[in-house]
Formats: sequence, C-alpha cells, structure tokens
Amino acid sequence: MSRNGGELRLAYESAETGARRKGAKNMKYILLMSGSKAGVDGYRAWSKKDIDGHMSALKSLVKELSESGEFVADQGLTGPDEAQIVRGDKNGMPITDGIFPESKEFLLGYWIVDVTTPERAYIIAARLSTLPGQGGGPTNMPIEVRQLASHPLKWS
Amino acid sequence: MKYILMMNTMKAGKEGITAWAKQDIEAHIAYMLDLNQDLNTSGELVSAEGLTFPDQAKLVRAAKDGTPITDGVFPESKEFLAGYRIIDVATPERAYAIAARASAAPGPAGVPLNMGIEVRPIMSLPPKSS
Repeated sequence: MSRNGGELRLAYESAETGARRKGAKNMKYILLMSGSKAGVDGYRAWSKKDIDGHMSALKSLVKELSESGEFVADQGLTGPDEAQIVRGDKNGMPITDGIFPESKEFLLGYWIVDVTTPERAYIIAARLSTLPGQGGGPTNMPIEVRQLASHPLKWS
Repeated sequence: MKYILMMNTMKAGKEGITAWAKQDIEAHIAYMLDLNQDLNTSGELVSAEGLTFPDQAKLVRAAKDGTPITDGVFPESKEFLAGYRIIDVATPERAYAIAARASAAPGPAGVPLNMGIEVRPIMSLPPKSS
C-alpha cells in the first residue's frame, strides 16, 4: 500500500510512477534479502522459538515503518526448491529448467520503502540485518538496497 | 496462485541494454508494456517494478552498534534483479507461458533475447504487517 492514502495506483503502473502521479516527492527503495539453497536449509532447521522471535521482531519493524508512512510493500517468496528458469522456444512455448548452480543466490523476500534519503534506506536495511536469528543473536544478513526505476523497464 | 517472474542480469552483461540503439530499447520497452497491459486486462497482473542499475546497488549490514555499513563492491558473477512481475494465475503452466513471453522480448535488431526468467510461487503467509 502506498503512503499516499486513498488513491491506489493502477496495477500496471510502477510504484514510483503511481507516486509521481499523486505528487509524491520521496524515493522508493527495494530492500532485497537473498540466500543460497544451503542458507535456506539452515533457516528451516531453526527452532520454533527462534523463528517466532525473528518473525515477531520483523512484524514490529514493519509496524513501525507503517506508522512512519515509509512502508510500501513486502513479500516473501517460496524456497529455491520451487524455482524454475523459463525461456521461450522458437514457437514461444515455455522451456522450464529447475537445475541451478550451488552458488546461486535466490531472492527470499523484499521490502519496498518510501524514504527521503538513501541513508534512511540503509538504516532500515541495517535494522533488517540485525533481526534476531538462531539463538536470538542478529542474523547479520546482507541486505541489497536498490532504488526503484521511475518507470518499469526505463533505466535511465 | 501468485507467482513472481524475475528478470536477472549481470552487472556487465554483454546484452547490456544501455549499449543498444535507442530504437531497440524503445521496442523492448513497448513489448514489455504491452505484456503488462495484456495481463492487466486479463486480471492477472498484481504488480510490476523495474529497478535502477546495479551500479547504484549497495549491500548493507549493521555494525555492532546497529549503524549501517554499506558496500558497493560485488563479485563479477553476481546476478542482479533488473525487474519483476507478480501475477495471479490459475496454474503454474500459465505462469510459465507468461514467463516465456517475457523471455522472448526483443533485443538488438529486434531479435528475441530468450533470456531466462526465474519463476517462483509467492508465499501464502508472508510476514505481513496487517
């Protein structure tokens, strides 16, 4: 959801395009959390208590960002074991492939925030990086921070 | 069922779109926007976003006191997310068909890129705020 209140952007508009149409001046950043298959298997082995602690801290952070008007969207993805790479063949029919190099990093989830400076996006990313992990200590997961393009597929 | 279709790119991919002719870039974008419009008409498009280029990407970790440490140096082999679509479809096959169409987007001289599109189901219970 956008911080701009009642008016929702059109489904084919990027978040940034929608925001501009509504006169917003802030910048939208996407915070990407990625991991390898091995990393995901590690997470799946956490105790219920550790997972609950992680999720509860995450929920608090998202609530805080919602209250400050900086939260735009978040999404979790299913694990790498459900990923397929798809290409079109000569007739445009899909060819699927589920075999990946061990080193491949998979997107696990993302948060989109609407902030006034890149520094603020980095601070929020650092908060995500310090969410509690196994045993309650910070995960120190690296979070990739990227600005959303002003228009889908227009990289200028 | 919701799926995410991800287009990944290398930082210095030889297919780097910035080096294309203006006409080729415009044809590529028009193809992608057409696809978005079709998916919007069919009610299957949930969202679509493009990201800025990898040269603006930062990797962030927290220092011991919680302040952010940023790093903009990445291994050459790293894949960067260039953009994604989230779609709501009846079957995985439909998600693959849409991914195949994105895969065939035109590149230089209008030749289909046949790039790999990563397709993953969206979690049914993401850590939602609401």
